[in-house]
Amino acid sequence: MRYLLFVPLALFVALGQVAAAPYFPVLGVTANPVLVLLMCWAMVRGPREAMVLIPVAGMFQDLITTDPVGTSVLAMLPIVPLAAVRERRPTESEFLPTVAVVAAASLSYHLVYLLVLAGVGRDVPWLQSSVRVILPAALFNALLTPIFYLPVRWATAAVEAGTPSVRVAS
Amino acid sequence: MRTLVWLVAISLVALLAIVLSQQGALDPLRNLTLTVASPIAHGLGRAAEPVADFLDRQVHRQDLEEENRQLRQQVEALTAEIARLRQEGFLSGELANLAQVEEGRPGDSFLVARVIAKDPSNLKEAVAIDRGSDDGVAEGQVVMSEGGSLVGVVSKVLNDFAWVTLVTDPNSNVNAMVLESRTEGVVSGSLHDGLSMDLIPQEADVKPGSTVATSGLGGNFPEALLIGQVVSVRGEPQDIFKKAEVKPAASLSRLEHVLVLTSFRPVRLASP
Repeated sequence: MRYLLFVPLALFVALGQVAAAPYFPVLGVTANPVLVLLMCWAMVRGPREAMVLIPVAGMFQDLITTDPVGTSVLAMLPIVPLAAVRERRPTESEFLPTVAVVAAASLSYHLVYLLVLAGVGRDVPWLQSSVRVILPAALFNALLTPIFYLPVRWATAAVEAGTPSVRVAS
Repeated sequence: MRTLVWLVAISLVALLAIVLSQQGALDPLRNLTLTVASPIAHGLGRAAEPVADFLDRQVHRQDLEEENRQLRQQVEALTAEIARLRQEGFLSGELANLAQVEEGRPGDSFLVARVIAKDPSNLKEAVAIDRGSDDGVAEGQVVMSEGGSLVGVVSKVLNDFAWVTLVTDPNSNVNAMVLESRTEGVVSGSLHDGLSMDLIPQEADVKPGSTVATSGLGGNFPEALLIGQVVSVRGEPQDIFKKAEVKPAASLSRLEHVLVLTSFRPVRLASP
């Protein structure tokens, strides 16, 4: 049932990424709100839901862009293992590790993306891409983290607060 | 363990989808998805544009941006006209017999298309338009801005939509000419650098402000189609070739409508 809400949200963000994000370039690059949202989602709510949202949002994103369908799905797969950081709790704050894994997910996203582009026969300027796209995009996406992290965090807390808990008498 | 199985399964499905996608098997699904998504995408784009404009104004303090935009369009249209007239002058001059002008070419005909989305990947420069094979759009067709300068080439066609690879794409190469000096070279796109013109002979007279247009060499682009203006020229005396930075005449980051040149048939389409 909850996916009836989550899936349209992810699809809407994917659509926004194609239609609106290019209007707001920073450091010469466009943000990847889908990646940031799904990474925040996996960090706040655990990777289980992200495992459903990644293929859906990734496929949809590829269907409305020039990328071979499946590219974004492959590129976003590292979100799931990266979310394992959540279990380790390296710091008191959950936010700082999220910023770090968003940057890491952005780096891995572009590396896998470039590999797929090279695999389908497109000329890939590796060095230029690293300096001008991959690193600035990682920074930009990391800066976007609060925009997605805080609403996901608040929404999750609100839902949890509103859900009646069942206590089992021992 | 379950996560590992999921990762492997999704990877395999994604790889299969990539293979199918490369063969065009998923094109009907792409077309259907874009049909459903394009009105929302267009709405989002229209909503984003004023916000982006507002932020731009705040950042750059450009209170006269609208006037500037109109003036740029006028400059672009006039520069395109100058390029055409220069080319006509060249052809009617004493060197006319050397020019390989395609005879019997009918008057240019265009298809107006609306830009509905932009590729967000950062590694490609492409826009989606709301015209496809059902409207007569074909891969390889040349796309121009409303002002008449070169925008790019149709690279992927669906029934009702098409993707246009912009001249600024890193994989884009266009045979070009500096109109003032008749110097030929190749204009290529690069990541975030706009355009650069390579293979300019060291002795060639190319200066900032020079007009760059398509040369028509190779037959994939019509000749004298305005590309942009030279901003700077680089090259050491010992280099064989110089390189020029070219500013595209069309405002490629803010395209709303484009013209697909349907009357020109590129060589790559004509060849069997």
